Amino acid sequence: MRKMLAGHLACGVLCFASAMPLRANEVRVAHATELNVYAAASLSDVLRELSVNYEKQTGDKLLFNFSASSTLERQIEEGAPADVFFSADEEKMDALERKGLLLPGTRHRLLSNALVIVAPTDAAWQLTSVFDLTNAAIAHIAIAETQSVPAGIYAKRYLSKLGLWDKLADNCVPTENVRAALAAVESGNADAGLVYQTDARIAKKVRVAYAVPVAEGPRISYPVAVVKGSKAVDAARRFVDYLRSDAALQVFRKYGFLISAEQH
Amino acid sequence: MNLRLQNVRLPLAHFALELDAEFTGQVAAVFGSSGAGKTSVLDLIAGLRHPQSARIELDGRALTDTARGVCVPTRQRGIGYVPQDGALFPHLSVRHNLHYGAPRHGEGGGKSKFGHVLDVLEIGDLVNRRPQSLSGGEKQRVALARALLSSPRLLLLDEPLAALDQPLKLKIMPYLQRVRDEFRVPMIYVTHNANEVMALCDEVLVIEQGKQIRHGAPGDLFTVSDDPQFVLRNGR
Amino acid sequence: MSAEELQIVWFTARVATLSTVLILPFGVAVAWLLARRDWYGKSVVETLVALPLVMPPVATGLVLLKLLGRRGPLGGFLHEHFGFDIVFTWRGVMVATAAMSFPLLVRAARIAFQGVNPRLEQIASTLGASYARVFFTITLPLAARGIVAGALLAFSRALGEFGATIMVAGNIPGKTQTISLSIYSLVQLGHDREAFRLLIVSVVIAFVVVWGSELFYRRRDRA
Repeated sequence: MRKMLAGHLACGVLCFASAMPLRANEVRVAHATELNVYAAASLSDVLRELSVNYEKQTGDKLLFNFSASSTLERQIEEGAPADVFFSADEEKMDALERKGLLLPGTRHRLLSNALVIVAPTDAAWQLTSVFDLTNAAIAHIAIAETQSVPAGIYAKRYLSKLGLWDKLADNCVPTENVRAALAAVESGNADAGLVYQTDARIAKKVRVAYAVPVAEGPRISYPVAVVKGSKAVDAARRFVDYLRSDAALQVFRKYGFLISAEQH
Repeated sequence: MNLRLQNVRLPLAHFALELDAEFTGQVAAVFGSSGAGKTSVLDLIAGLRHPQSARIELDGRALTDTARGVCVPTRQRGIGYVPQDGALFPHLSVRHNLHYGAPRHGEGGGKSKFGHVLDVLEIGDLVNRRPQSLSGGEKQRVALARALLSSPRLLLLDEPLAALDQPLKLKIMPYLQRVRDEFRVPMIYVTHNANEVMALCDEVLVIEQGKQIRHGAPGDLFTVSDDPQFVLRNGR
Repeated sequence: MSAEELQIVWFTARVATLSTVLILPFGVAVAWLLARRDWYGKSVVETLVALPLVMPPVATGLVLLKLLGRRGPLGGFLHEHFGFDIVFTWRGVMVATAAMSFPLLVRAARIAFQGVNPRLEQIASTLGASYARVFFTITLPLAARGIVAGALLAFSRALGEFGATIMVAGNIPGKTQTISLSIYSLVQLGHDREAFRLLIVSVVIAFVVVWGSELFYRRRDRA
């Protein structure tokens, strides 16, 4: 009898205790808005830095979901609770707009980027031109998945334009997003990788073997928009406006992003 | 036979087995109630269990000597073992069971010995059967034949008739006597049945709770009657 | 099914078969040691063998990646001295599937060995058989059905492996893409119909293999 009572008491205490944190959260939310920002993987470092300032200024809390833009697009289509979508190419944004999933009037073309070819810092080979990628010493070229991930699409477009895609396709190791391609090169398991110049900047264990001149490379565009089903539309608009502000653009430039002509 | 068990000590679950005996008869019984440690004695002789201390000698050759670190592996002891349930290999036919321990070479002698053993134990028409299809009595005879065909210097039998009912016991006992008389292989026979001791053995070691309490001829230790009782002379 | 789909199914089946065949002798040996012997550190080995079964597959994949990558202790050695890579190649798929299915094989084989009456092995010994002969003529045949059932289970696990595979071998179409990886990619691309086709293939294969495994178990029990 005593044992049963103790058991019931323990259960009760556990239930009560587990409910406590929830209630504390509810109290906090009443004062601050939580924003779900779905952004391309290549934006992870710069947005994290921006969020520190933003959260201090506005009291809003930013919850990031960094992934390949194609994955994020898919998630939003399936009903994921995104408030803001920051994609690495226009196609994903177009797809959502066609399905009526964007809040009209909130879409802005914000950034651009450039492609680079990176190699592990301890790799021996050098590239005088991009055609040197066909060198036999380069067995594995890490590249984001080329059918859906923006970085991969851009990279394939570029290599195809130069007539190199057919020769190199066999050596390509497609990864889930551009940061995974970067990681593959950093780990030394890939001999080379095609990533954004902004990724190369923050990486520690890679060097830029060749920087694709912007004029030669594919046209890269990063649009941002508020998602239609957002439950915090005002806060979402506020955040998008912040991203377009001079203060934010300065930080983007610091990380190596190019600013889209529309923003100037 | 000439089997010596000196200073044997083997700790078991509830007591320690302690023996010091010498067997000289043709068939020696190890007699005691269930759980007295009888099977362990056989396991020690066959080298299937290792004692804390012992010197076990067969025909002058040391099989186990813990003091000198001698332990001849089971497969080299030349000791046949017929366990309680026969332990026939279920995935082999009777024929393959029988051939398992028989030496490969010497076909001539082998064949006739094979035939002889089959005749004595009357298992000739069982050779193509599977062990699962045999009766209890048949299984015991096949197990006995299998051990005999490996030409052992000593044969250990662990209560071979225990699982059989009385009529069957009476039926199988003559086979054991035949083996004793025809093949003249020394045997150690474990049992808790005094009738079997009287029918087969010329020497008996009585153990209880792991300790030997009597060793001698069955006639000296058992009162002879229809239902022989083991009686200690001079009280306990 | 298109040529590509056939290639994926064929590749997956080949790698899974090769991986199962490779772990068979090692798995049987370990299972026997665990079933029949006691030694200092045995529980450590038992735990290590069971880990891939309990850990998240991607975690196991991460461990393998660190070990077998070009900068890892094993992978680095292979790359320097033999010039071949495991990461991002079909060998990586094989290693990942082998690691994940190994515990299943050991578990089944161990139970099979434990089911063999030790008395039979002892009697074989008294009849003059060496350790090797006892193992190959008595222990192994009597444990065979359980071992085969375990191998079939390991095979079906290898067929469906995802987390460790994608970590170690990547998801390279035509080179390391297995059925599971392909389904994943197709879904990412929005090609749900193709994904479903492969899904059905994978279900059919798994069904056949597990059913075969059950048959083996049942025959063993009846015997």
